[in-house]
Amino acid sequence: MIANESNVCISVDTGGTFTDAVVTIDGTIAAVGKAPTTYGGLVDGFFGAVQDAAKSLSLSRDELFARADRLVYGTTHTVNAYVQGKTAKTALLITKGFADTLLFREGGRPQEQTFEFNVPFPGPYIPRLQTFEIDERIDAEGGVVRALDESEVRDTLRGIKREQFEAIAVALIWAPSNHAHEHRIGELIEEELPGVAYTLSHRLLPIMREYRRASVTALDASLKPLVEESLGAVEEEVRRAGFSGPILLCTSAGGVVPIDHAITHPVYLMKSGPAMAPVAARRYAELEQFRGDVVVVDTGGTTFDVGMIQDGEIAQSRITWMGPEGIGDLVAMATVNIKSIGSGGGSIASVDEGGLLSVGPRSAGSEPGPICYGKGGTEPTVTDAAAVLGYLQPDFFFGGRMTLEVEPARQAIAKLGERLGTSVPQTAEGIIRLASESMIDAIHGLTINAGIDPRESVLVAGGGAAGINIVPIARELGVKKVIVPRHAGVLSAVGMQYSDLTFRSEQAKITNSVAFDAEGVNEVLTAIDERLDAFAVKASGEHSAVWEREYRAEARYAGQVWEVEFKLPIGGHGVTQEDVGRLVESFHEAHQKQYTFVDRDSAVEFISWVGVTRGILDISNSTAPAGTWHGRPEPLAIRKCHFGSVEIETPILAMDDLPAGAIVAGPAALVSPTSTLVLYPDSVARVTPHGDFVLTVGEDTSTPVNHPAEGNVHV
Amino acid sequence: MSETLESPATRTDDVIDPILATVISHRLNAINREMNDALMHSARSALISVARDMSGALMTADGTLISLANSLPIHILGSHLQVESLRRHHPTLRNGDAYLHNDPYEGCTHPADFTLLVPVVIDDVHCFTLTLLAHQADIGNSQPTTYMFDAKDVYNEGALIFTATQIQRDYEDVEDIIRMCRKRIRAADQWYADYRAMIGAIRLGEQRIREMSERFGAQTILRHLKWMANYGDEMMGAAIRELPAGRAEYEVRHDPAPGLMPDGFRIHAAVEIDPKEGKIIVDLTDNDDCMPNGLNLSEATTLAGALIGVMTSLPKQVPITGGSFRRIEVKMREGAAVGKAAFPHSASLATTNLLYRLIGAVQCAFANIAYGLGSGAGASGMSAAWGVISGHDRRFGDRFYVNQLFSAFGGGPATARVDGWINFGGGGVNGMLLRDSIEVVESKYPVRIESVRIVPGSGGAGKFRGAPGQEITYGPRFSEMELAVAADGMVHPPAGVHGGHAGGAAQMFVVAPDGSEKPLPGLSLLALDAGYRVRSIDNGGGGYGDPLDREPARVLADVVEGYETAERARSIYGVALVGVLEENTLRFLPEETVSLRSSMRG
Repeated sequence: MIANESNVCISVDTGGTFTDAVVTIDGTIAAVGKAPTTYGGLVDGFFGAVQDAAKSLSLSRDELFARADRLVYGTTHTVNAYVQGKTAKTALLITKGFADTLLFREGGRPQEQTFEFNVPFPGPYIPRLQTFEIDERIDAEGGVVRALDESEVRDTLRGIKREQFEAIAVALIWAPSNHAHEHRIGELIEEELPGVAYTLSHRLLPIMREYRRASVTALDASLKPLVEESLGAVEEEVRRAGFSGPILLCTSAGGVVPIDHAITHPVYLMKSGPAMAPVAARRYAELEQFRGDVVVVDTGGTTFDVGMIQDGEIAQSRITWMGPEGIGDLVAMATVNIKSIGSGGGSIASVDEGGLLSVGPRSAGSEPGPICYGKGGTEPTVTDAAAVLGYLQPDFFFGGRMTLEVEPARQAIAKLGERLGTSVPQTAEGIIRLASESMIDAIHGLTINAGIDPRESVLVAGGGAAGINIVPIARELGVKKVIVPRHAGVLSAVGMQYSDLTFRSEQAKITNSVAFDAEGVNEVLTAIDERLDAFAVKASGEHSAVWEREYRAEARYAGQVWEVEFKLPIGGHGVTQEDVGRLVESFHEAHQKQYTFVDRDSAVEFISWVGVTRGILDISNSTAPAGTWHGRPEPLAIRKCHFGSVEIETPILAMDDLPAGAIVAGPAALVSPTSTLVLYPDSVARVTPHGDFVLTVGEDTSTPVNHPAEGNVHV
Repeated sequence: MSETLESPATRTDDVIDPILATVISHRLNAINREMNDALMHSARSALISVARDMSGALMTADGTLISLANSLPIHILGSHLQVESLRRHHPTLRNGDAYLHNDPYEGCTHPADFTLLVPVVIDDVHCFTLTLLAHQADIGNSQPTTYMFDAKDVYNEGALIFTATQIQRDYEDVEDIIRMCRKRIRAADQWYADYRAMIGAIRLGEQRIREMSERFGAQTILRHLKWMANYGDEMMGAAIRELPAGRAEYEVRHDPAPGLMPDGFRIHAAVEIDPKEGKIIVDLTDNDDCMPNGLNLSEATTLAGALIGVMTSLPKQVPITGGSFRRIEVKMREGAAVGKAAFPHSASLATTNLLYRLIGAVQCAFANIAYGLGSGAGASGMSAAWGVISGHDRRFGDRFYVNQLFSAFGGGPATARVDGWINFGGGGVNGMLLRDSIEVVESKYPVRIESVRIVPGSGGAGKFRGAPGQEITYGPRFSEMELAVAADGMVHPPAGVHGGHAGGAAQMFVVAPDGSEKPLPGLSLLALDAGYRVRSIDNGGGGYGDPLDREPARVLADVVEGYETAERARSIYGVALVGVLEENTLRFLPEETVSLRSSMRG
């Protein structure tokens, strides 16, 4: 029973393969749920997961909805649509002479390609035939060089209507300096194509650099119809189910925003789910009192994500390439720095013509899913390999809601093995090893390149499929400590429970320290404040949050090109000439920190002004898991599992049967309704006071010897 | 290996941990990237801060390359020569030192590439040298361009030449040198700000190397780097052993330039693959003497050009370490224009014109050894898309400005596996340079860029197609602007191989206010009044293989994306198209295509 005064929050994370749900009561995780993501009806996975969680609280789905105070939702739907090219048919309107902007991008190529001559150059995000030049031109100072030819725009828009475009992106040269032309085109779109989704670059992200604006605008427009439809459907169904509280969406910046805000700015949802994994990881690392850098991985069915926490801050980046650096598509807004690769439990293994085994990036997703799900999958996946090796308990998979069919998986893997000349276990191990290799590469790519040594970091491993190979990955990386949360299978959904309402508003206003336009700056800061206020008022909904606000600016020395963002030593508008010295000093400090030098002789140019407001929703003090311990556990089963060349009798233990302080030595498999953790020989798991697992891998395995009959557990 | 590396401290422990070696090299790459990023983001001239025409490198004390991450190979592959020059002139190096080097006769690429060298001394042993090179907007040449194509010699060129000249001592500037520069270099404030940014970035790299040395031990790092170098050498050897044995020569010409080189200039390369020895030899000795102009190559650029030509000609990538280039022997001649430019011949344009031709010649020579190797030739020269602009900006109190644009790029050559790279820009940069943002250029300089676009049909046809060239039109907004260009590939466009066609020729025009156009010679220094514009087209890249073997679906896609024209699809590629492009109904007729092609082969 949930006490009347308790605060109930539901978070739901729609992944490519599974949808996860977490319910907290007064900040403590009370239930988790999981269901396959169904492409047919996105809402089914959403409700399936919530229903699953409700069940463990002995509530009906609608009872839980009626009782809930807040709903937080994250979805990889947008990024999946991007990756699969299933976004709306989008027209790009761009200044005459610059139709190839999205093709050219910003030049450069991926760093490892110094001498590369065998990689093709990819086409533009919006094909050439869908790009329309508009005869107009604004100059750097905002002056009109060529007036907008409205009749030409109307003609173009009518053509767009005839061709049944679903969305329109408008990105004109110098729109941030003078948005009159973009604004007018917006009005003409409303007249000529009422109801068609469109994005104007100056409204979405008024920054200098035409490619960045065009790219993010094109992405945003192309996502609008789809996001409006899918989020609209979710909202409608949730309301019908009796939920009346605020619905919050997770953004790429690692915060949450109200649903209507998300619908109008879909590009902010690009990393919606994945951005929450580091939020959860930070929480777990704090609970286990680990200091230092944290690496977080999230292995789903389709993708493998890596993120980092440096000095307690979730690493962010203003340059996020969808696809390869330099030749993908750039998202130029502040985004949690996550590296994603197409590798996960659903990654398909195949043998090429030359007889080489490869795994991924193709994924079986949840429909049909791995062969062993028995839902029509025919191509062997990483999950199938784990099942064949004995790591998964067929009758306790998914908490017993799904029975694995191992035999068809074995046959499919045997077929690959025939072509490779390897046995079934060898082939299955090869599949897992190759999947692990690409994951290790991804971790190295993000961490070492950022100057983080994974061996000195803590690895937080989440995602439903993480447990299959986190031990060999940790061993290969040399990571000594791994935290596998009890709710590893729903990591992002956990993070959502501990994220804050976050909104960032920025506006260009160029001035400098010599002739500081205090009045102009105050106007901008006031406008920013108004937007932050509006967001806060709307976002607060019925839910109380503690609001914080900070102001930042992007500035540079006169003549520089790139800005440094720094925190302003002021509390909002009301800046006077007397403050300029302090602003300049703050900039010097930031420049010194980032580039090791200051130039006190130079004027400082302030380019844009930023306000960030944060509504802190996290009211919890503990994540102590609910449920009771059952003392010395009986294994659910003892199975033969393959580890390397040997077959070992391996106990399968329910995570819920393990009390805090219990130590389990591998080989063993720990199962929960949302995940399986495979403890390979030479690895040890300790249950923390909060019910999570801390693994020690490799050298430090002096303690218990394997004794299957006793369940391998030391309390 | 030098005596520094063989000092007693290195021999205390011979254990090699391959994972540590990987971690060390990744981390050094991260440091190099951080150093590069720091400079790019804090410099003033658009050349550095927008286009990233700059490169850092980490080396051991003796100049063995440790990391070139994120740098341009043309800047880095000869850097060890600068380190040797430094050690020759300054046998004793101290922490806090920094040296300025732009001497093309002692290892620098060309005088515009100001290079800082900073030694890292740990426990009294000189362990590492950091270099950071950045192309300056101006270096005090006799004309406001860093590309003095008509310089009879280095005196006529006019820049100050620094041969490992000490510019910092105890982390403080040697003011004498700063004063010399400030009195000589145009837009001196911009230069000095860029210099401060370079010092900041290289000191950041130094700090990171010190931190890393404290963590792992400098000698442990050096020991593992030596191992990594050997690993790179072995991997390169293995890659060469898989190649077919053979030798081919290739000769190309730089375009003629009236007065400077009426017949153009011949570039010759002979390439030999010796799989048995695991060696590749690039023989450049059959090249003519230096010319009395600024196009001669320096030793650093000739070497780097040959190495780039080889590395890009391999059918698959090999891991790059300090040992990767040991198996490539480059033979060159003292005093040759494609070789080691001899003092006082000018090497003002050593990083572009003859260099791009040299790289193309090596790549085409590889292609002629066996189908599958090498590539066609890529775009050459510097059209107005890469022009050096200068003048006064009335928006900022008539402030003097000078800068090189990188606002459109020539096309890359095709290989036996892929079409050419769109943002190629020349063999020396191989697509690593960043493009100018139109808005950033217009905010910093009083120019208006009217258009930048792909030129359909300008990629060299082939089974794989060269990338199309690009066209740019721009001019001054308010008042006279000087423009220096050094285009090539107008008379001799980049060649194709194995039946592939040459890429489209470069073209340049001055456009008068009334729209009339006048052709502009490749090597030009001119003044444009307000209202006048320059229209400039860069080369497309050379093709690879017979165009009639190109998959019809690719030809169709090329037309749809605007890389090719429908006319050429039929006349060159023999693909029968029907439908209307604008209505999205274009498709190809398989049977007609087969018969059309067989009649064309006839």
